[in-house]
Amino acid sequence: MSSQAAAVIGIGQTKHKKKRDDVSLPGLVREAAQRALDDAELNWTDIDAVVLGKAPDPFEGVMMPELSMADALGANGKPMMRVHTAGSVGGSTALVATHLVQTGVHDRVLTVAYEKQAEGNAQWGLAGGRSGGMGAGGIFAPWMRTYINKSGAPEDIGWKVAVKDRQNACKNPYAHLHLPDISIEKVKESPMLWDPIHFLESCPSSDGAVAMVLTNEAGAKKAPRKPAWVLGTAMRSELGTFPGRDTVRPQAGVECAHMVFDAAGITNPREQIDIAELYVPFSWYEPMWLEGHDIAGPGEGWRMVEDGSTQITGDFPVNPSGGVLSSNPIGASGMLRFAEAALQVRGEAGEHQVADAHVGLAQAYGGAAQYFAMWVVGSSLDAVGARK
Amino acid sequence: MTDTKQPDSKQDEAVDPNAPITGMDYFMKLEYHELICPVVREFADALMEKRLIGHKCPKCSLIYSPPRGYCPICTVQTTKADEIEMQTRGIVTNYTVVTPVQYYGQEETEPFAKVSLQLDGGGNLSLQDLPGVPVEQVRSGMRVEIVWAPDGERHVDDVTNRSWGSAEGAIRGWKPTGEPDADPSEYSDKVF
Amino acid sequence: MVNDIAIVGYAQSPSWRASELTEPQFLFPVISEAIERAGVERREIGFTCAGSCDYLSGQTFAFVMNLEAVGAWPPISESHVEMDGAWALYEAWVRLQHGDIDTALVFGSGKSSPGKPAEIYPLQMDPYTLTPLGADPVSLAALQARAMLDAGKITEREMAEIAARSRKSAIGNPYAQVSGDDDPEALLKEPYVTAPLRRHDLPPISDGACAIVLATADKAKALSKRPVWIRGIDHRIDIHQPGMRDLTESPSTRLAGKKAGVGDAKVDVAELSATFSHQEKLLCEELGLGDDVEINPSGGALAANPVMAVGLARFAEAARQIAEHGKHRVVAHATSGQALQQNLVAVLEGD
Repeated sequence: MSSQAAAVIGIGQTKHKKKRDDVSLPGLVREAAQRALDDAELNWTDIDAVVLGKAPDPFEGVMMPELSMADALGANGKPMMRVHTAGSVGGSTALVATHLVQTGVHDRVLTVAYEKQAEGNAQWGLAGGRSGGMGAGGIFAPWMRTYINKSGAPEDIGWKVAVKDRQNACKNPYAHLHLPDISIEKVKESPMLWDPIHFLESCPSSDGAVAMVLTNEAGAKKAPRKPAWVLGTAMRSELGTFPGRDTVRPQAGVECAHMVFDAAGITNPREQIDIAELYVPFSWYEPMWLEGHDIAGPGEGWRMVEDGSTQITGDFPVNPSGGVLSSNPIGASGMLRFAEAALQVRGEAGEHQVADAHVGLAQAYGGAAQYFAMWVVGSSLDAVGARK
Repeated sequence: MTDTKQPDSKQDEAVDPNAPITGMDYFMKLEYHELICPVVREFADALMEKRLIGHKCPKCSLIYSPPRGYCPICTVQTTKADEIEMQTRGIVTNYTVVTPVQYYGQEETEPFAKVSLQLDGGGNLSLQDLPGVPVEQVRSGMRVEIVWAPDGERHVDDVTNRSWGSAEGAIRGWKPTGEPDADPSEYSDKVF
Repeated sequence: MVNDIAIVGYAQSPSWRASELTEPQFLFPVISEAIERAGVERREIGFTCAGSCDYLSGQTFAFVMNLEAVGAWPPISESHVEMDGAWALYEAWVRLQHGDIDTALVFGSGKSSPGKPAEIYPLQMDPYTLTPLGADPVSLAALQARAMLDAGKITEREMAEIAARSRKSAIGNPYAQVSGDDDPEALLKEPYVTAPLRRHDLPPISDGACAIVLATADKAKALSKRPVWIRGIDHRIDIHQPGMRDLTESPSTRLAGKKAGVGDAKVDVAELSATFSHQEKLLCEELGLGDDVEINPSGGALAANPVMAVGLARFAEAARQIAEHGKHRVVAHATSGQALQQNLVAVLEGD
């Protein structure tokens, strides 16, 4: 046995909110999972295995939650796994599920990721319970400053990304933040959290979940709606702290991008990819990843922001869903990128649908920008070839 | 397991007895007691003698302080034989100014800076403090020197195996030397 | 249907009551030894997967530091499960099925010594109904043992005999923490810790690590004179709420064993993650292992219980039986959750 085709045939997500106090933890994941099953027109009994992902357990205070969620996810008597690769976990979880299908181990796999930040305290968790926690922004802020200094990007690039993603989110009913009045002025004048990151350039803290059903070629052909075909997958990790590490353009991110492009047959990502969902929890990461994944040349990423290329109507739309800047259920944030890219190539993204989206890239990163997970999905198995 | 009352507990608010219960607060306390590993113990002992030590990888010469007992890049173990004493002056290579978010146990209320340092003679430190320096004056390139806690007050009670942030009992932080700032070429490939 | 994957290298740390080393520090030599024994170059390894748990040592993102013991520079393809290392092995086994890479490194590690298991493990239970009750592993295991006793499925004497045999088998095992020549009669005179469980029915609290190198068929044959083939592997989970389960049965073990093919041929040895003495008998029943099968020659989890590594260590011990002791067909078992909620079973064979 080797690799066979895999496709996404069901996608479901919850409304992401500051506090989903209308549902329990299992209720939250079940809401997303049920929607994914409904989308695929499958029942719980059709599922062979469940792969669950979330960020660190101390965020909610539930240790190895797959054990207590097994009942709600219909996993009784089935294989169930729990993935955890820091912020990239939603992506890695989807990839573990994909591999189970591609290798023929299972026919239909349900994969779910979530975070219920309001049921715990992620800031406490990140700080290890100690005072003086840096927050994720505190770790990333110096690297953004280095990017700004090295690339000569004007300071309004970050503000532009913040505005664009929030405007996109207004077209996404599931997004947490709906800020129709967002403006460059408002972002610029919002409080400085971690210089150079303003409050409105940062992701919110959300409760939410997302789920997907993956299946093989035979299963995809029977699916009621258009499948999103998985054209390439890649995971790459590197050490987080060592003298001389390039934190602005981490090598693992560069390699992960090239691996996924090679797997999908992409030779010119800017031309051949129609839409990208990138993990951008702080606005500056949009140009940083465009360059860090060799989609744009050195110093060109911010120009793509400046000239509007990454707008929903641009030639390389980034985060039409509103991205992590608009919804951040941490453990689910990575899988939301993967699911949103799939929605786009299925043509099911509703109001935030990008016209003629046939090839989508999704990326998630985590830790000290050291864990990367990516996939390329297409509207058909030869979607990339058709683009050449 | 112990239930503890959170400071901002809402129990004093008037409660409608007929309102449906939608949630409950459950606070817990877990205690962990971790042994300090030998290389960190040596690091702590040196701090008490106002010495900053690290391990220099015998293969690639990168310096790790506090010592880890290995070089993760070369995957070789390091021992006391690889110990070096580091200089206590250096350059701020990067910084972050954190506006503290309030969470249980957070004691910071005002914006504070954490800096990364490149020490003269080699070695990098992250998450260091510049006490007394207004956050708006913190910048890359600034030359600084160590501020040891005075004799008698110096302690290593908070040193843990878990990287920096626990040596404040011995090192108060770093202070500007007043020398001209370093040229970015001296440190720009070492920002981390 | 599936490609054969083999274990070509394995290593363990000793099991310590409390190691003064950090998790990456004691993982470091274990990973190096497994790679060395496999005879592969570290940089050749196509995929790495780890199993560990933040709550054990009380450190958020604990697994990130463990990456330092791997040598993740230049970057590597890598993943992590918040599960026992046996599930990391499963993820790597799946990854190797693609056929585009030929070797994988898996490891599991944990430090139980810094915390108090009775405080920590209730967090593994349903957070709304069971965590607030402080449902801890010993209490849940005691309920299970009581149910088995009441159902006539085991006797306290059999439990003591299992413990005595495990301790005796552990004599001479350099990785074991508890060993000795105990008379079951004497053990039965000890007081209960939580009735019906006595001290000997409980696992020790351990720190430790285990690492295994896997290879695809051609690579395994090139690397090893005695590759240990994974002929079948499967894992299943049961309902969480203990009140909804018949604790005297383990349907997930039975199903995983069937899918892994345990009953398809004679089994010589089984290494089972029976963390409490009575669970060994339950597992043997569900896997159909009779009196002719040697159980836990290493001493098993009653002799060394480095949580998050203990299941993977069953694979290492099972592989040792084939590679070093000439056994042919060996079963390895790992468990997760309380009272055997989730179980993984594999059948390993020599050539």
